[in-house]
Amino acid sequence: MSAVPQTVAIESNPRRRSYAGGALAFARREFRDAMSSRWFLLYTMAFSALAVAVSFMSLSGAGSQGFAGFGRTTAGLLNLIMLIVPLMALIAGAGTIAGERERGTLLYLLAQPVSRTQVILGKYLGLALALVCSLCIGFGVSAGALAWRAGGVGLGSYATLVGMTCALALAMLAVGTLVSAMSRRTGVATGVALFVWLALVFLSDLGLMAGSILFKLRVQEVFGLGALNPLQAFKMSVIVSMNASLDVLGPAGVYASQAFGEGLPWLLGSVIGAWTIVPLAVAVGAFARRGSV
Amino acid sequence: MIRAEGITKRFGRVAAVRDVSFELAKGGSMALWGSNGAGKTTLIRCLLGVMRFQGAAAIGGVDVRRCGRTARSLVGYVPQELAFHDDARLGASMMFFAGLRRAGAGAAAASLEMVGLRGHEHKRVRDLSGGMKQRLALAIAMLSDPPVIVLDEPTSNLDAAGRGEIVEALRGLRKKGKTLLFASHRPDEVIGLADQVLVMERGAVERRTTPAELWPSAKGVQVVRLHLAMATEQAAAQALREAGHAVHLNGHGLCVAVARDRKAAPIHALARANIEVRDLEVLEDVTMPEAES
Amino acid sequence: MRAILAIVISGGLALVAGAAPRAVSELAALIDAAPAGTTVVVPPGEYHGRLRIDKPIVLDGEGRATIDGGGEGDVIEIACAGVTVRGLRIRGTGKDVSSEPAAIRALAGETTIEDNQIDDALFGVDLREAPNSVVRRNTIRGKDLEPGRRGDGVRLWWSHGCVVEDNRVDRTRDLVFWYSEDLTVARNHVTGSRYGLHFMYSHSTEIVGNELTGNSVGVYLMYSNRIRLTGNVMTNNRGASGYGIGLKDCDDITLEGNALLANRVGLYIDNSPSSVDSAGVIVRNLIAFNEIGFLATPNTHDNRISGNAFVENEEQAATNGRGDLARNTFSADGAGNFWSDYAGFDLDGDGRGDLAYEPRSLFSSLMATQPNLRLFVHSPAQQAVEFTARALPELRPSPMFTDPAPLARRPALDLPTGTSERSAWPMATLGAALVGGAAMVCLALTRDGRLHVGERRIA
Repeated sequence: MSAVPQTVAIESNPRRRSYAGGALAFARREFRDAMSSRWFLLYTMAFSALAVAVSFMSLSGAGSQGFAGFGRTTAGLLNLIMLIVPLMALIAGAGTIAGERERGTLLYLLAQPVSRTQVILGKYLGLALALVCSLCIGFGVSAGALAWRAGGVGLGSYATLVGMTCALALAMLAVGTLVSAMSRRTGVATGVALFVWLALVFLSDLGLMAGSILFKLRVQEVFGLGALNPLQAFKMSVIVSMNASLDVLGPAGVYASQAFGEGLPWLLGSVIGAWTIVPLAVAVGAFARRGSV
Repeated sequence: MIRAEGITKRFGRVAAVRDVSFELAKGGSMALWGSNGAGKTTLIRCLLGVMRFQGAAAIGGVDVRRCGRTARSLVGYVPQELAFHDDARLGASMMFFAGLRRAGAGAAAASLEMVGLRGHEHKRVRDLSGGMKQRLALAIAMLSDPPVIVLDEPTSNLDAAGRGEIVEALRGLRKKGKTLLFASHRPDEVIGLADQVLVMERGAVERRTTPAELWPSAKGVQVVRLHLAMATEQAAAQALREAGHAVHLNGHGLCVAVARDRKAAPIHALARANIEVRDLEVLEDVTMPEAES
Repeated sequence: MRAILAIVISGGLALVAGAAPRAVSELAALIDAAPAGTTVVVPPGEYHGRLRIDKPIVLDGEGRATIDGGGEGDVIEIACAGVTVRGLRIRGTGKDVSSEPAAIRALAGETTIEDNQIDDALFGVDLREAPNSVVRRNTIRGKDLEPGRRGDGVRLWWSHGCVVEDNRVDRTRDLVFWYSEDLTVARNHVTGSRYGLHFMYSHSTEIVGNELTGNSVGVYLMYSNRIRLTGNVMTNNRGASGYGIGLKDCDDITLEGNALLANRVGLYIDNSPSSVDSAGVIVRNLIAFNEIGFLATPNTHDNRISGNAFVENEEQAATNGRGDLARNTFSADGAGNFWSDYAGFDLDGDGRGDLAYEPRSLFSSLMATQPNLRLFVHSPAQQAVEFTARALPELRPSPMFTDPAPLARRPALDLPTGTSERSAWPMATLGAALVGGAAMVCLALTRDGRLHVGERRIA
């Protein structure tokens, strides 16, 4: 068949190897590991099932008026996504470096001709791809259910929902990876990731609600503090894409629509972007500066 | 080929490696000799650039700290026990590391051929025997045919047959002109593979010598078990170490590695220290257990 | 042979003549020449200028004549009673809101305006003191202006007994009815406008079968009494007010068999009924998928709300401000409404839930007094608040109202379906693309990763 090396070439020159190539090898392995692992299958199936269930529930018995239920379906999906997707991404990220460290495999990987940055970015990339695939399958199945029950309404909004959910997953994965890079044991990393999840999903919003009532926060303060939470930024950007304004979120939403206008989606998107880039950069920095494995 | 200048590594207040300097020429083979905790493993990790340390190290003239990736591309590393994802299949693992080391499928196949693992590609790593795992590690180390091989007690978890296979493979590599640096507890390995020995004690280099000096009659080494009065065992071990013997102490007595024609040497050394030896037995083909510090 | 050639040439000339714009004065001359009560068929072609009709005739464009006002003032002004304008394409009114330029302005009654296509008009049809007129089957499209600078698609001013039906209106301000009584407003489609139908001090009217989609507000009734709304569909009206139907100070309103879907607020009631001895009747409507199903000012009272289906509204019912809805009736003859979030049961199988429906959402009651908290709707934190309130009864607010006999099953309502059904294929394609894309990535990345034994032999 093809040319076969007759002997093993002996080369003692240090080779230039492509930086991306090493990272991609990690990405690919991470992706394959995720594909063959139970959590991936479980999350994909759970997410698909829940997404379809929410779609059906929201459209229950809507009959010929079903098309109008799309907005409510999306709203129902929002809640589901804000609960499950960060959990999925944080836990997946938390396991990635700490898991290798705990199994003792990290040392062996680092003894290969790769840099720590390659390791962490490659692993991030692989998990990110796996998560996006998982979400796309869930959304795809749910889109089928919607097409069947409600017809082709809200296509653009639905596509935005898919895109923003993937962005949210990437941000939460970055936070999980940061937690993992700083933790010695998987258990600790998972615990910290769960706490971060709790904080982002419940504690920060509840705290802000209480603060808003107790300190009589002004509307721009409520919006500003709320939008710092990547989950709220995600929610708002989906609502903006559906309604072209945030009026449904009351005075704070009206303020945001008026103050930022066309720039609002970009503002919200950059919040999520910052939640991706900053944790990832800190994770790379912290991992590279670690004295030991 | 390998140069270390004043390598010092502290974990908190404890210095695991203290001011270690040495140089190993191309084609040379050096054993790291010393009890557990002498700092052999830490020194190897520093040389690979996996840990941060004080001092300087270079492989093939490449600074390990500044260009770790390039330096590591010149090194094949074999750990004490292959730490790798148990679920992965041998072939897939090989391809992953081939990707990291920029070797093609042909090189991977050749490498497996060399260690006699062709035909096992479909097996899962967890189903491999200890000897096969170590041979796999060696095959991975030989991907991209690096000029330097670094091994950290590569045979410590193997039985006699497995040890033989690995040592034989390493002899072959020496003949090809590879530079070898390895940590070992086994005098027979050191005598068979090394032309230099770096004796380490509590993190520091005690002396640099040759196997012939360490074991003057290098025709062979045997392990002798000495039966002593309980209370004198610690003192005896101390005295023997001071006399330059490798010692292991456990509930069944005190084991000493000696050259085949110098079996009386430990008895003389103990006599000088006024310690009575009640009995001795010569253990044929018994692995020298890990020495205690 | 020559004869045929002559016909062809004259036909060609006619076509050329038809393509060139003519002056409206040609039309005026035709009208002048026609006896009153006859039909003037407008020769096909395009006419530039403004036309005034002061003789009771029928002006019929048969769908092939266009009148372009050239962007100044009104295009057609009807100055006497009994005029019919039919089958014309009309465009190019002025654009200054203060002078209210209209495509067709009627200043006298018994006018019929039908089958016209009106484009680029600030006001579409403006009836001023033109009673017993008919506005039918017109297509009206406003100018591409920001909403605040638009005019009304159809406006009635002191015009009683009119019929406005089967019109399609897009991108205007309102279809607005001022001081006009005994109207029939039926089967109009209004999209992209401010208020789909807007009633000011206009009483005793039937509003039937209209479809109001994507406006700021579907139907807004103000200070108007004795109005029946039946069989209308209000969908996706989500502007600044965003009501499917809004009622402000209206007495004796009947809402029956309407579908209020996916609006910001399905039904908004502001102080209606406002008189002591009047009542509102809200029966057999479908109120579904809105952010708030039923919103009312806290002093609202004396509405009978029964037989409706409240389905999957984010908030089923709410007040804007502190207060409750307890002074309204939520059942009639032992039958209440269907609530999709009803958590009770119907053990005796009589079709009524055995427990009353009493909404007491802590988050809703918090939002009523702390509007800023609305920022947190659609989020798990909101669910957490509700969950806490269920777990700790002392935190639960008192019920906003009580439906003593909630329907156990959704009533089969004979409702208009709307016409917004669209093809399911794009969505199905998107779904298939997502699944297929993911599968392809999986395959590409997991395939070919292992060493192929047997294919290569090493020498």
